Amino acid sequence: MEATIEIRDLTKRFGKVVALDRLSLTVEPGEFLVLLGPSGCGKTTLLRSLAGLETPDEGEISIGGDVVFSAPRGISVPPGDRRVGMVFQSYALWPHMKVKDNIGFGLRVQKLPRQEVEARVTTVLDDLAMGGLGERYPSQLSGGQQQRVALARLLATRPPVFLMDEPLSNLDARLRMDMRSELKRLHHDTGATTVYVTHDQSEAMTMASVVVVMNEGRIQQMAPPGQIYRQPANVFVAGFIGMPRINLLAARTLGDGRARFEVGDFTLPAPGAPPNAKVFVGARPEDVMLSLEPADDAVEFQVYAVLPAGPETIVHIRRGEVTLVARETRQLELKMDQSVWVGFDPAAINIYDGASGELLPPEGGSRREAASRMADGGRTG
Amino acid sequence: MYLVLVPLAQLIWRTVTWGEGDRRLSPAAVEGEVTGFHWMEAFSGPSSNAMLFEPLANSLFTGLFAAVFALLLGGVLAWVVTRTDMPGTSWLRPLLIVPYVVPSFAIALAWETLFKSPRIGGLPGLYETVLGFGPPEWLSYGPTPIIITMTIHYFPFAFLLICGALASLDSQLEESAELLGASRWTILRKITFPIVAPAFAAAAILTFGKTIGTFALPFLLGQPVQYATLATRLFSTLNQGLDALGYILALVLIAITALAVYASSRVLGGNLNRFETIGGKGFKGQLTRLRNWRWPIFGATAAVALAVAVFPLLLLGYQTLMLVDGFYGFDNLTLHYWIGESDPELAEGEPGLVRNDVILGATWITLKLAFISAAICSVVGLIIGYIVVRDRGGWIAKLLDQISFAPFLFPAIAFAAMYLSLFAEARGPIPALYGTFTLLVLISVVNRLPYGVRTGTAAVAQIGRELEEAAEIQGASWMRRFRQIVLPLATSGLVAGMLVSFVGVMRELSLIILLITPSTRVLMTVGFRYAEEDQVQLGNALILLVTVLTLAGQYLVWRLGKGRLARLRERSG
Repeated sequence: MEATIEIRDLTKRFGKVVALDRLSLTVEPGEFLVLLGPSGCGKTTLLRSLAGLETPDEGEISIGGDVVFSAPRGISVPPGDRRVGMVFQSYALWPHMKVKDNIGFGLRVQKLPRQEVEARVTTVLDDLAMGGLGERYPSQLSGGQQQRVALARLLATRPPVFLMDEPLSNLDARLRMDMRSELKRLHHDTGATTVYVTHDQSEAMTMASVVVVMNEGRIQQMAPPGQIYRQPANVFVAGFIGMPRINLLAARTLGDGRARFEVGDFTLPAPGAPPNAKVFVGARPEDVMLSLEPADDAVEFQVYAVLPAGPETIVHIRRGEVTLVARETRQLELKMDQSVWVGFDPAAINIYDGASGELLPPEGGSRREAASRMADGGRTG
Repeated sequence: MYLVLVPLAQLIWRTVTWGEGDRRLSPAAVEGEVTGFHWMEAFSGPSSNAMLFEPLANSLFTGLFAAVFALLLGGVLAWVVTRTDMPGTSWLRPLLIVPYVVPSFAIALAWETLFKSPRIGGLPGLYETVLGFGPPEWLSYGPTPIIITMTIHYFPFAFLLICGALASLDSQLEESAELLGASRWTILRKITFPIVAPAFAAAAILTFGKTIGTFALPFLLGQPVQYATLATRLFSTLNQGLDALGYILALVLIAITALAVYASSRVLGGNLNRFETIGGKGFKGQLTRLRNWRWPIFGATAAVALAVAVFPLLLLGYQTLMLVDGFYGFDNLTLHYWIGESDPELAEGEPGLVRNDVILGATWITLKLAFISAAICSVVGLIIGYIVVRDRGGWIAKLLDQISFAPFLFPAIAFAAMYLSLFAEARGPIPALYGTFTLLVLISVVNRLPYGVRTGTAAVAQIGRELEEAAEIQGASWMRRFRQIVLPLATSGLVAGMLVSFVGVMRELSLIILLITPSTRVLMTVGFRYAEEDQVQLGNALILLVTVLTLAGQYLVWRLGKGRLARLRERSG
C-alpha cells in the first residue's frame, strides 16, 4: 500500500488568479505530508488536483508511477481510477444512505460480490470501534462518529494514497485532539502515503512527517516540523509559523566591524551577518531572554502587558517604537511599566535579507548556499 | 433557445410580411413578401386608435393602477402578518393567498354576479336584488372593476414576495435603531423599507408584468362596454384572422414588459434573477407590538381576507345552485348544474357537471396536461439547475440561466401568440403542432420553466458539491452519481416544485386560450366559454371545480414543505 506522488510544474489559474504557480513536489511513499498555509494559498487546489476534482492548466502528476495527469500529453485520469481516497471537510456523507451503504458505496461501484462488500464494511466498522452503527443514518450520529464514518469510507476501498481536506476542522477542540492521535495511528498502521491539508499550524506540527508551507500558489518551505519552526526559510514562513508570532525586527548591520545590528536606538550582537546591510532579525518569543537586572549586551525595555497562560507567561515589552513578545516559563513577578533587560540567544536568531526576505546563512556562508540548503531542506531534515 | 428566441424572431417576421389572408386588406398583397403595411396600419392607419393606442392606454392605465394597489395592499398585509404581533397569522396567511391560487376569472365572475347590470342584458346581480336599484355602470364594467379585480387577484403575489423579504430581515437591524431612540415610524421608513426596497421593486415589476398580460379579467369585465386592453384586443384580432396585427400587439406587450424590467434593473443596478431569489432563511425576530391596535388591525385584515378569499367563492357556489340565475329564493335552489341530466329547457341542454362529457373530457385533458407538463418541467428544471449550480460561472450555465428566465419577460398571451405564429404550419422537421396536445404541453413547460429551473437550482444547491465528489473519487460514473446521489436528495424539492407547476398549469388560461381547439379543450377554456355564453351556473361550477383542485394541490405543497422536505433538509444540513 505505498505509492510515491510526483508533481511537476503544476499551474492552475482561476481567471486571473494563479492558484498554483509552477509547483513541483515529491511525496515519498508512506510519508505524512501536510500542506499548510493561509486561506487562498492554493493548498486545497493542489489536493483537489491530486484527486482529479480540479484540472490544472499545466504540468504533470504521477501517483505510484502512473501518470494521472499531464497537460502536454493531454492525460487526465478520472478521479475514480487514481487509486486515491479522500476525506472531505464536511465529511460528505450521503444523508439518504445508511452508514453501511455509505461505506460500501465504493466497493459496489467496483462490482465486488455482496458478501465481500458486507464483510469489508463490517471489518472497517469494527476497526474503528463503530460496530453496530451500520444501520443508522449519518444524521443520527455525533460529529465524531460522522468523522469516523468518513474515514471508514476511505479505508474500505484500501487506496494506497489518502487525501484529507481539513478533516478535523468541524470537530470541537477536545475531540480534535483525540482524532489527531487516531489519525496518526491509522497512518502508521496502513502505511498509506498521506497528503493532508490544514490551516491550523499546531495540527500540521503534531501530525506531519513533512510540512509544506504554501503561499500564493508556491511552496515557501518544505521541511520536517522541527526545522520549519527553528529555521523558517523566509520571513513569510517565520511570520506564519509560531504562536505567539515571531519577533521580526527591521535592522541594519553596522559597517564598523563590530558585527552588530542597529534597531531603533540600540544595537545587538550579530554573529556572521554581512556588514552594512538591511536585514530582518527573527527571534522566537522563547529566544528573548528577560532579566530583572542590567547585564552585558542587554537592552532596557519597559513591560507593556503581562499575559499569564498556565505553564508559561507571555510578556509584551516596549522600548520607543519597538515592541517585543517574550515567552517566559519562570515565575517572574512583573509589573506594568517596570524595566526589564533584554538579551537574545545568538545561536537561535535567524537573519533574513532585508530585500528578498530569504534566510541568510548562520555562519559566514554565501546566500547561494542558503538558497540551496533551503531547496532540499525537506531531504536533509 | 429554440423555444424562446426562435418564436420571437418568427413573430417579428410575420409582422413584416404579407400573410395568407391579407389579400382582402390590400390588393397589393403578395404572400410571403416583405412589407411595412402592417406596422403602418397599426401605428398610423385610420383604425390605429381603436386597434392599438386605445388598448395600449387602457392596458397601461389598468395595469399600473392594479400593480400599485396590489403592491400597497400586499405590502401592508405582509408587514402586518410577518412583523407584528397580530393574532391569527397562521390561518390568515394561507387565506390571503387564495385569490391568487384560484383562477383569475373566478374573481371576475364573482364580480359580475354581484354587480351585474341589466342594462347590458341578462338578469340583475345581487346588488340590484338587495338594494332594489342597479349599480352605476362604471362599477359593473370597464376600468374600475378591472383594476379592482386584478388587484384582488394579484396582491397575494406581491404579498408573498414581500413576506419573503421581510421574513429574512434581521430584526437586530431594527432593534439597534430602536436603541438609538428612533420612533416606530422612523424605523419603518429609514431601516425596514430601504432594506426590502429591492424586493419591493421586484414585486412591482413582476406584478405589473402580470397585470398587463392578464386576459380573462379585462375580457369579461371590459368586453360588454367595449373596453379593450392589449391582451383582449390581441385575442379578438387573432380571432378575426388579422394575424399580423395581433402579432404586432403581442410585440408591443413584450416591449412594455421588457422596458419595465430594463428600467428596474437600471434603477436597482441588478438583474431580475437577483430579485427572484429573495426569500432565504426565516429569521424570527422581535415583532412590532401593536398594543391597542392589535385587535382592530386583526379585524381589518380578517375582513380583507374573508372579502377576497371566502366571499367570492361562496357567491359562486351559491349561484351554481340557482335554477334560474338572478332570483334569490329557496324555491330556486337546485343541484341541476352539478348532477342534473340534460334538459332542453335549461342551459341549452347541457347536462350537469358530473354528467357532462365535454367537462369530463376537459377535466381529463387538464389533469393530463398539468401532470405531464409539471413532470417534464421539473426534470428539465433539475437538469438545468444542475448545470447552473455545478458549472457556476461557465458560459453554458450563464446562457441557460438567462434564457430559461426569458419567459418571465413575456406576458402569457403574447407568448402564446409567438407559439401560434411558429407552429401554425409545418416547418422543416417540425410538424404543424397547432391544435395538438403536444403544443399545449410544450408551451406550458416553457412557460413554467423559470419556476422549474428555480426549484431545480434550489434543490441542487442544497446538495453539497462534496457529496458528489466523494462518489466521484470512488469511481462512480456521472449517471450513477445523478441517479444515486443527486436525484434521491433532490426528490422532495422536485415533488414540491412539480405540484406548484401542476397547479399553475391547471388554472392557466391566458397562455393557452389562443392555442386551443375543440379536441384539446381544457377546463379553463370550457369554463371561459360558458362564462362568455352567459351560462353562468355551469361556468361557475366549473371554476369551483378548478379552484378545489388547485387548492388541494396547494395544500399538498404546503404539507410537503412542512413535513418531509424540512426533515430531509435537516438531514443533509
